[in-house]
Amino acid sequence: MTGHPPALELVGAHAAYGDIEVLHGVDLRVPAGAVVALLGPNGAGKSTTMKVLNGQVPLTAGRLRLAGRDVTGISAVAAADLGVCTIPEGRGVFANLTVRENLLVSAGRRATLTQMEEAAYARFPRLGDRRNQLAGSMSGGEQQMLALSRALGTHPSVLLLDELSMGLAPMVVTEMYAVVAGLAAEGITVLLAEQFARIVLPFADTAVLMVNGRVVRTGAPADLEEALSTTYLGG
Amino acid sequence: MDTFLTYTALGLVVGAIYAIAASGLVLTYTTSGIFNFAHGAQAMIGAFTFYQARVVWELPTWLALVVVLGVLGPGMGWLLHTLIMRRLRDTEIVTRVVVTVAVLLGLVSLSQWVWNPQEGRVPPMLFGADSTVDLLGVTLRYHQVLCVVIAAAIAVALWWLFNRTRIGVLMRAAVDDPELLKLSGHDPDRISASAWMIGSTLAVLAGVLVTPVMGGTLEANALTLLVVDAFAAALFGRLRSIPLTFVGAVVLGLGSTYLVGYAPAEWTWVGNFQRALPMVVLFVVLLLLPHERLRGTATRSRERYQTPPLPRAALWAVACVIGLVAFGGLISEARVGTLLVGLSFAVIALSVVLLTGYAGELNLAPLGFAAVATLVAYHVGSDATAADPRLSLTGLVAGVAVAAITGALVALPALRLRGLYLALATLAFSGIVSAMLLRDTTPRTLFGHTFVIFPNGNILMPPLEVGPLDLADATTFLWVLSTLFATLGLGVVALRNSSYGRRLAAMKDSPAAAAMLGQRLMVLKLGVFALSTGIAGLGGIFMSMAVVSVSAETFGFTVSLSLVMLTVVCGIGYVSGALVAGLIAGAGITSLQLVLGDIALTHPEYRDTFDIVHHLLLVATALVGIGVANGPSGFLHDVFERQRGLARVPFVRWGGAAVQVALLLAAYAGLLGPALLLFVSVVLWSLLPAVATAWAPDRARPLPLELEGITTPNTLALRQRIDRELRIETEAGHARA
Repeated sequence: MTGHPPALELVGAHAAYGDIEVLHGVDLRVPAGAVVALLGPNGAGKSTTMKVLNGQVPLTAGRLRLAGRDVTGISAVAAADLGVCTIPEGRGVFANLTVRENLLVSAGRRATLTQMEEAAYARFPRLGDRRNQLAGSMSGGEQQMLALSRALGTHPSVLLLDELSMGLAPMVVTEMYAVVAGLAAEGITVLLAEQFARIVLPFADTAVLMVNGRVVRTGAPADLEEALSTTYLGG
Repeated sequence: MDTFLTYTALGLVVGAIYAIAASGLVLTYTTSGIFNFAHGAQAMIGAFTFYQARVVWELPTWLALVVVLGVLGPGMGWLLHTLIMRRLRDTEIVTRVVVTVAVLLGLVSLSQWVWNPQEGRVPPMLFGADSTVDLLGVTLRYHQVLCVVIAAAIAVALWWLFNRTRIGVLMRAAVDDPELLKLSGHDPDRISASAWMIGSTLAVLAGVLVTPVMGGTLEANALTLLVVDAFAAALFGRLRSIPLTFVGAVVLGLGSTYLVGYAPAEWTWVGNFQRALPMVVLFVVLLLLPHERLRGTATRSRERYQTPPLPRAALWAVACVIGLVAFGGLISEARVGTLLVGLSFAVIALSVVLLTGYAGELNLAPLGFAAVATLVAYHVGSDATAADPRLSLTGLVAGVAVAAITGALVALPALRLRGLYLALATLAFSGIVSAMLLRDTTPRTLFGHTFVIFPNGNILMPPLEVGPLDLADATTFLWVLSTLFATLGLGVVALRNSSYGRRLAAMKDSPAAAAMLGQRLMVLKLGVFALSTGIAGLGGIFMSMAVVSVSAETFGFTVSLSLVMLTVVCGIGYVSGALVAGLIAGAGITSLQLVLGDIALTHPEYRDTFDIVHHLLLVATALVGIGVANGPSGFLHDVFERQRGLARVPFVRWGGAAVQVALLLAAYAGLLGPALLLFVSVVLWSLLPAVATAWAPDRARPLPLELEGITTPNTLALRQRIDRELRIETEAGHARA
């Protein structure tokens, strides 16, 4: 791995909402092709780290590198163009657009609508049945499938998943993570933030534990499992 | 049969105009979430520019069209988006409405500056007025046929744009969730900009086509308001569907020509009703619209207001009355009249504070209700045959009561709906009032009484007389009116601090949560609407007494919009916002113009300069309104924020107050005039925070409450202060009390 620069790298990253600093110097390396799980309790700064990585929140100090290139201060639009695909927390779909139109929006420069539709309907046949339905009128699981379909057709270089399991039935969560595992197997770099660590540890290569806006531990998932309960429960 | 065909053809042409105007409106609303009140004003600018290019510069028609449709339309849209509309994200509907209203007012005053309204301009028809075609025995001009063709083409093209093209889908996505659109690699700003460019071009196109069809000369206000009539057509499609908007426009067009053609001759009101038709239709459509789903949380908004505790408000109320009466003693009786108009405007603005600032509902036409109250008070409470008539208390009470009841009735259809729809209902109401009531100069018989609703288009409002109080005396009037404003203001603050006020705030923040807590939203809305229109009515009656001679223009649509705009600019969550807005709208602009006019009379050589200043003043007022996009809480909010620092440096604050009293005394001694007094006072109070900072740098800079305890030590005193600010009654608080 020494020859390849990491797909994503944060060095001493500080970020703030207004006057209140949330990230106090985060160092994070996501090696190319790896699946990294970002774990931590509520308010640890996981979502903010995600938003820093995709350009939604600017850094107040520190550097951001994409595949070795310094892109500190990049805009969200430019990051998306470089192949950073984000499935945001909550429902990452346009509620007032149909399924098809949602796919058309995400098609962009990296894929045509036809390619997007093929990839999405092949993986989630239910979406194919509802292609002309408004996204907002579908169930939570179907909406999350649609959101995840963005990553299916566009071949992103990095996939950022923020709380994929939020508000979903356990069965749907399993299905979602099966898709993510499939994408990872294709060689796509994945960084996922998750409160329910047990779901993601089995297929993560590395786990990173964040507390209070800092990375406190990095290591193999098995090693971190123990540290988790003490951190979460404040033991 | 022939007449029927003629009326149908003409109705279609009128409908086509409405359709073009309304589809531009729908386009910008769907693609930016902003209902563009300035759409008509943009059309007006287009019409004037086309006239300028075609008739004044004598360019060939095609070149004039290129200038207007290819350069002016997209350019104006791009400018509007880049300079103004882009900044409207995360704001409440009232801010959005006010900003576009400000653009409307700004464009109208700009056009009157560039194109002197005294000159008559007759715009040419495309292809000339003589090229005609016979269709089924009806003779139509090419221009008229072209209107229908263009309208149909636009409807098809827009439908295709929205549903079949990538950019159309992206435009809708940009309204839905701009952040998510960024994550998909599209810049929402660029997409909205293109939407505004298309919308603006459609507005300009409507402007070029309209006047030759409607006949007459170009007139800025009439053209601007014509598009307001198109609102009704746009609502047919719930502001979203282009095909339904088209249907609505045709219904409107046919309705107005059939009405003229087939109404019985003895219906003397048909002429007025035809003017009011679009507004009546707008009202009916609002009645029929399906119920909106309750939204859980209102969009994250940047507007913040703080209500003062009652004792502090009472102190200010007393200071306000003393200050106003003291100032009134310094100025001539004629100027006291102007001050009175300003104060009664302030009372009307207070109704807006209660309704919009506290309850989050919109009334864009408070002066419509003021007109109703004035008419009722005049007919009930005064004896027109008396030599020196007075208004009775009965008249006043009746006027206020009827205004409140009318308010409730107007709100009724829109209660199920929210924000924008309610605003449009009030707008429609004011349109109906000014077209039907304020133009009704023929005698009517009702319950055996024969009377004229609005005799000669002008009524002389007699002053109120209650017991020993006779408002014919200007000083008494000033005492009564400033006391009335202070009392009402205090009452409104008390209301906001009561449980009723908290229920209003809850309804404003989250209708769904309020409903789940068992609040009956209908009753709440109806109540606050009636209360607010009652206050507007009261202010209206006093305004009519202050103005003495009122006509339809006194209660005009633009007057209402300017007042609401100024209230938002000053701070719609504050009683002081109403005071300052009312004084500026009713007195400030008038007195400045009077002063300028006086100087221009005595120094004719400066006439041109003052003319420019006069126009600049009007445009500047609109610019201030546009500035709301940057500070949606109003400028008084910022002023209070800075003055709050003074509380920590009492020496400077009381010193300032002492200087203020000294200034007032100096003015009474004749050492400085009232205008200079005002100016020096404003300078004094805006400098004080800076003085305080220089005096005690550590204490004067107020720390936002949410940062207290994070960047400073978290002490018991701080925790108690936070409890106090949040009005939480803690054990410690009880112990102290």
